[in-house]
Amino acid sequence: MQRATAPYFLILPSFILAAAIILWPLKEIVSLSLHDVNRFGMLREFVGLEHFRVLFADPDFIAATWRTLVWTVCVVLGTLIVSVPIALILNEDFYGRGIARILIMLPWAISLTMTAVVWRWALNGESGMLNSALRDLGLIGSNIQWLAEASTAFPMQILIGILVSVPFTVTIFLGGLSSVPDDLYEAAATEGAGRWDQFRLITLPLLRPFINIAFVLNTIYVFNSFPIIWVTTQGGPANSTHILVTYLYELGFRLGRLGEAAAISLIMFAILLVFTLIYVRLAMREEKE
Amino acid sequence: MMNSKLKRSLVFWLFLSPIVVVILFPYVVMTITSLKSATEVLNPTWWPEELHWQNFSEMWQTSGIASALANSLYVSTLSTLLTIVVSIPAAYALSRYQFAGRNAYRQFLLVSQMLSPIVLVIGLFRLVANAGMIDNLNVLVIIYTGFNIAFCVWMLQSYFSTIPRDLEEAAWMEGANRWRTLRSVFLPLAVPAMVVTAIFTFINAWNEFVIALTMLRKEENYTLPIRVLSLVAGRYTVDWHYVMAAAFVASVPVAILFAWLQRYLVRGLSIGAVK
Repeated sequence: MQRATAPYFLILPSFILAAAIILWPLKEIVSLSLHDVNRFGMLREFVGLEHFRVLFADPDFIAATWRTLVWTVCVVLGTLIVSVPIALILNEDFYGRGIARILIMLPWAISLTMTAVVWRWALNGESGMLNSALRDLGLIGSNIQWLAEASTAFPMQILIGILVSVPFTVTIFLGGLSSVPDDLYEAAATEGAGRWDQFRLITLPLLRPFINIAFVLNTIYVFNSFPIIWVTTQGGPANSTHILVTYLYELGFRLGRLGEAAAISLIMFAILLVFTLIYVRLAMREEKE
Repeated sequence: MMNSKLKRSLVFWLFLSPIVVVILFPYVVMTITSLKSATEVLNPTWWPEELHWQNFSEMWQTSGIASALANSLYVSTLSTLLTIVVSIPAAYALSRYQFAGRNAYRQFLLVSQMLSPIVLVIGLFRLVANAGMIDNLNVLVIIYTGFNIAFCVWMLQSYFSTIPRDLEEAAWMEGANRWRTLRSVFLPLAVPAMVVTAIFTFINAWNEFVIALTMLRKEENYTLPIRVLSLVAGRYTVDWHYVMAAAFVASVPVAILFAWLQRYLVRGLSIGAVK
């Protein structure tokens, strides 16, 4: 009898805490999204799906949704493309590998907020060192006001997003590569397979589950990523760099439109749930194999 | 043999150099700017004419970073302890017992890990505001704990599963009861895993942004990320040399800790991701 109840006692405290922090606010968000709310958060009459209707008629919301798609796809694909070769190199034995690993991992160790604050300064139009570096290299003739326009600010934010996602992704891949047995390569080499064939026929298939998991997890993290855009442009100028998370924050805490902000939260929650289901299925499939 | 390794190293470093340069760029800018004089900051030279070490002491006095450092330490330490205390039993249960609902609990953890604070921040703010607990650092402790539990249980569980059961079973055979076995066999072996997981939990809390931004209104309660952002956002003139000095102080200790520990993360994550 005691054995049967023990595990439940053991998981209970963690379950209660995590559930309270997640389910309770979720309930609040649902009720906010269905009621008329004043800017101090007082609930008034039930309005049904009115907030959702207002959102879908809001051009800034539609633009932020599309931008979120571009943001997520560019950062995730960019990260994966950059990370595969880095992980392959870091998995080899060479002089200075320890230092190379630490350097590549550095952005993970420093908070996103600090990295974004520093980039905001480096991208400064007059005194920023990116402009002076590019001028010294002869790549640009005059200073660029990087953050003053979406056409330069947004690509820069995507670049920062890629740089800070690479460490986590490389870490996952390194874990995957370390599970590839060496004798497989030796066997392939004796069969006369070249380096490219070895990569295509052995490494890539064995790395595939790790690429899948890195893809889904990165999609979730990048989709949720708030500090880079908030710190560098706060979604501006003129709402032109908002993604869903920053627009949600702007609506909720700057403009006091809590009902619509809650509606965005729920829409994001639904999208995240789909990503999560994909992840669970992938992870379960790994487990079976 | 030696020669071919040297050649390989050169080729690899050549491949890595573009990405290393881009990754290091902002942190080099941070370090250089933090050592420039106020007049030289606006002039984007690479090397300052004289190194202004006094930026750090001046920043320390004017920016209020000392109290932010204390707040960050308080919140991160307390929430790490709380997270670890509730996660160890849960991870132990997952790795040592078979029970109905085990898989459901694991999936609950997975889903809760997917939800970032930003999606729930509106609801959390309302709850905290209604309870009149805005600007209360202990609220931050509880919220960080709630969000870190999933990661923590997941990591601990994957490490615990690597501790061989035979040792515990041998102790039972010798007549030790479950609690005694736990205390004298299992826990000592699990200490390294707990320390590593605790440190990563600490770093997560140390770097958290959106909850602190929302729940803290008074300057004296700011944590480090909010304090550093407040030196930049909504100001007409920004003392960038002080900001960069503050960012340096806020990030370098944690970065060193992380660099030292990152190989454990590779192990924990890869075990957790596949097993």
